[in-house]
Amino acid sequence: MGGTNGKKLNLKLKVWRQKNSKDAGHFEEYDAKDISTDCSFLEMLDIVNNKLILEGKDPIAFDHDCREGICGSCGMTINGNPHGADRGTTACQLHMRRFNDGETIVIEPFRAKAFPVLKDLTVDRSAFDKIIQSGGFVSVNTGSAPDANAQLVPKEKADLAFHAATCIGCGACVAACANSSAMLFTSAKISHLGLLPQGEPERDRRVLKMMETMEEAGFGNCSNTGACSLACPKDIQFENIANLNAEFLRASIRSRD
Amino acid sequence: MKYITSAIGRKQLMAVTGLAWSLFVLSHMAANLLILFDAEAYNKYSHALISNPAIYLAEAGLLLTILAHIVNGIRLTIENRSARPQKYAMPTNGEKAARFQSKWMVYHGTLLAIFLVWHLLTFKFGTVYMVTYNGVEMRDLHRLVLEVFQDPMYVAGYLLCMVAVGFHLSHGFYSAFASLGLSHPRYMSLMNKFGYLYALIIAAGFISQPIYVYCIAVR
Amino acid sequence: MSIKLDSKTPSGPLEEKWSKHKFDMKLVNPANKRKHTLIVVGTGLAGASASATLAELGYKVKTFCIHESPRRAHSIAAQGGINAAKNYQNDGDSVYRLFYDTIKGGDFRAREGNVYRLAEISPNIIDQCVAQGVPFAREYGGALANRSFGGSQVSRTFYARGQTGQQLLIGAYQAMMRQVGLGTVELNYRREMLDLVVVDGQARGIIVRNLATGELESHSADAVILATGGYGNVFYFSTNAKMSNVTASWRAHKQGAAFGNPCFTQIHPTCIPYSGDHQSKLTLMSESLRNDGRCWVPKQKGDKRPPEQIPDEDRDYYLERVYPSFGNLAPRDVSSRQAKYRVDEGRGVGPSGVAVYLDFRDAINRVGKAGIEQRYDNLFDMYAKITGDDPYKVPMRIYPAVHYTMGGLWVDYNLMSTIPGLHVLGEANFSDHGANRLGASALMQGLADGYFVIPYTIGHYLAGTSIPKVDANHDAFKAAKAAAQARIDALFAVKGGKTVDDIHRQLGNIMWEKVGMARNKAGLQTAVGEIQKLREEFWQNVRVSGDANNLNPELEKAGRLADFLELGELMATDALERNESCGGHFREEFQTPDNEAQRDDENYCHVSAWEYTGDSSLKGKKSWQLHKESLTFERIKLATRSYK
Repeated sequence: MGGTNGKKLNLKLKVWRQKNSKDAGHFEEYDAKDISTDCSFLEMLDIVNNKLILEGKDPIAFDHDCREGICGSCGMTINGNPHGADRGTTACQLHMRRFNDGETIVIEPFRAKAFPVLKDLTVDRSAFDKIIQSGGFVSVNTGSAPDANAQLVPKEKADLAFHAATCIGCGACVAACANSSAMLFTSAKISHLGLLPQGEPERDRRVLKMMETMEEAGFGNCSNTGACSLACPKDIQFENIANLNAEFLRASIRSRD
Repeated sequence: MKYITSAIGRKQLMAVTGLAWSLFVLSHMAANLLILFDAEAYNKYSHALISNPAIYLAEAGLLLTILAHIVNGIRLTIENRSARPQKYAMPTNGEKAARFQSKWMVYHGTLLAIFLVWHLLTFKFGTVYMVTYNGVEMRDLHRLVLEVFQDPMYVAGYLLCMVAVGFHLSHGFYSAFASLGLSHPRYMSLMNKFGYLYALIIAAGFISQPIYVYCIAVR
Repeated sequence: MSIKLDSKTPSGPLEEKWSKHKFDMKLVNPANKRKHTLIVVGTGLAGASASATLAELGYKVKTFCIHESPRRAHSIAAQGGINAAKNYQNDGDSVYRLFYDTIKGGDFRAREGNVYRLAEISPNIIDQCVAQGVPFAREYGGALANRSFGGSQVSRTFYARGQTGQQLLIGAYQAMMRQVGLGTVELNYRREMLDLVVVDGQARGIIVRNLATGELESHSADAVILATGGYGNVFYFSTNAKMSNVTASWRAHKQGAAFGNPCFTQIHPTCIPYSGDHQSKLTLMSESLRNDGRCWVPKQKGDKRPPEQIPDEDRDYYLERVYPSFGNLAPRDVSSRQAKYRVDEGRGVGPSGVAVYLDFRDAINRVGKAGIEQRYDNLFDMYAKITGDDPYKVPMRIYPAVHYTMGGLWVDYNLMSTIPGLHVLGEANFSDHGANRLGASALMQGLADGYFVIPYTIGHYLAGTSIPKVDANHDAFKAAKAAAQARIDALFAVKGGKTVDDIHRQLGNIMWEKVGMARNKAGLQTAVGEIQKLREEFWQNVRVSGDANNLNPELEKAGRLADFLELGELMATDALERNESCGGHFREEFQTPDNEAQRDDENYCHVSAWEYTGDSSLKGKKSWQLHKESLTFERIKLATRSYK
């Protein structure tokens, strides 16, 4: 039965170490010994860190929280791929049974101008919050809502909206994009709210504002490579970006500004 | 005009200009296939094109679109590069790697820009041979083409550039539709396949000409 | 010191309490709202919804979030759903039934008034969330879909596949971010609250550490709202996120806020079992799975056949056998204990023998693999990733794990703690779930508190209280900041030989073994002593690396563990004092002949609210004084809880 035949691995890690946002940063090598294949990737780092602490060294800093693939905190590039090689998986859900004994693993932070490194593998992704605060919402004050079933929503649309809304805001799309673009993130929100009747009144305004903020935040532009969607741990589809393009065009044509 | 300076606006500008040139290269390639059949027809067709006063308008339009495509493309590339000041030690790979032609648009694009100049210098501004059919004097472009394609180095360079055209189109054609908002997954995947087919036809059509000349026509 | 517990539950019939109270409460006029600054700590469902709503009303809100983004708060991980008495399914649901189910599910240890209000508000929450664009599951006709959860015989749970918490949190987060964009909420992220500042008996501000830079900051306000979640991580292994902690609540507790029912812990029956020492946390498999999954163990001890080879006649579907009317949907505390009994009988499964099966074979035969995918796809994926098994083919192995804490800071009907001005929302307070929370009720409570309760009650406090001007230069702030600094220095000064995680694991082990699913007097007494010893060891032998003026996760964890080491003692003390079994608190000495919880309504029909009476030094002796708020049931007749 899987998950219980814990074999042990010995690995070499090449980890990006950077004291703070001003430090230039460099790679450092560590041995990870006797790692059970049942460990998650982050648990493997825990073990390495525990050893570093007892040796009086500074442990590797990385963001993590729920460790079940939903909070979007863990973001690191593992052997060139955001969250590692497996599709539809966050770093915390990646398990060591996916690695081979003796392997060298290169671990880097998500790299983008809009995601400055705070320390080691920890980056600041608050640019995403700025994008949301510029328009990623429905302007409805508490208390003014009609009965929930007053407006029926076709199941197909609700399902598509839900799928777009499952974005966890981890930033893997930006990390994977050759241009560090946040189009997949932004487009997921545009699709989520745009597909629902509740989002309709602010449809034009939302897309114009959010795109403006995305550009200001220092993300690059999209060149339709689709790398974002391949890296997305929640499998947010590339079609959302195409939809965003259409929404933006529509809004620009109708805009009176 | 905010739209035209916006990220998506410029992306859509790439799409529209790219699509315009996609159509142009299709017609260019198709008409040039005449070379496989008949010198006179080839020359008469060329003459009909260049003697039509509307050609100046068309040329101006093509020049403008390609300049917009190139300048915009360069600007976007510079901006996109600056969005990641610190490069990765390793690129995405395996199941998460984007297809290479999409990542290399700027490289084959640059090659194509150089090719374009070279191409114009060779043919449009190249040696002028004249020929007369039914009393009408016109450029003997057929002779020029035959002459040029006898140089194996030239043919090799030309072939390389046509492969680049294929790659550029295989991403560009589909990408343009995505940029313009075609988002239904079924039609997107159809358009993706069609993009490959389109690229293949254009590249094969252009490649057939020097091959024909070099291997068959001249011997 | 003496705390007076006054629940301030309004008089009058149950159905009219809240509307009457809403009318009776004082209002702050719109122009004056702008003059009030409110601090909200935490951005989960309760904190985000409160921040958004208070800002919409016109208050100046300063919100603090421990994560790099409010969207990462642990509400995001809630899976199954949210209850609401909409009766859309026409199956006999009503506000009263939701109220009744919640009181009964909580084993009659919650306030009638609070719970009724919660049930009454529940439909508004769904309306609000749908209006915000929360993409709940729908039927083909376009209406909202429902499913069933444990402890109820109606379908009243609204859901978004297995990611309901995520969708609700994103809704609340977006509402809050809209206010951030409008400038009415000042969002401070990567900030951890280290102390509550009390000036002249009123909560007036907080000390936070900027986790990115290490800087200590003082923030003042007219009132403070804590929405900082539960303390399940005292067990080290729990389904909580790694950063979930008790620090904000605990520091407030030590400033005078009473802690209510600290021993009421929910052990969730369906979690992926513990697999080895490397493990850092346990992962929940939503209770909604019990809609379609059947729990079983082999009838024979030591039956080592692979599960698919064990025929039905050799399987013991124990929940269906023991609780024929609720079956696999028996409440959490009950289901967890039944799993424990099976393992104790030696009939546990898997290599460790500490697990039971949750089998979808029959459901897959009934609705097809696609039907199951539609309902639980992400949960099945998650299970497969962690265990390497395919739950579509072999039954899941599950075992109970710590999931939620019903206990928390004591609050009155207005959600105010025993410190005037300090309000506590969501899981951080003790209020609505009694001794056991029903599934899909945590999301309901968090959002009820944030969207629909605190916006009213805070106005009542502000309008009815004289609040002198105080800013962050006040001596109380300076003193609190100095104390926080001293604490950090003390942690670095130890320079011992054990990591924070090592000691935390030890604490967790004590808690799980002796203050876990089943407790007894001797065990609890031992636990108190062991925790005290471990606390001593912590202050002599912990190793905190790095420095204070930088991002330093080890320092953060050490500070939180220091608080858990005190809380653990209080939990054991409370469990020891409560000589009865109720809900999640199961004292082995107090059980019925068929191993069900035996309440003692004569002596324990009350909330235990503990006041901290120890000294304020770091390493000194801790002590508490017990206050009791007796629970009076005007409407419901106390009965033995039965799910048979």
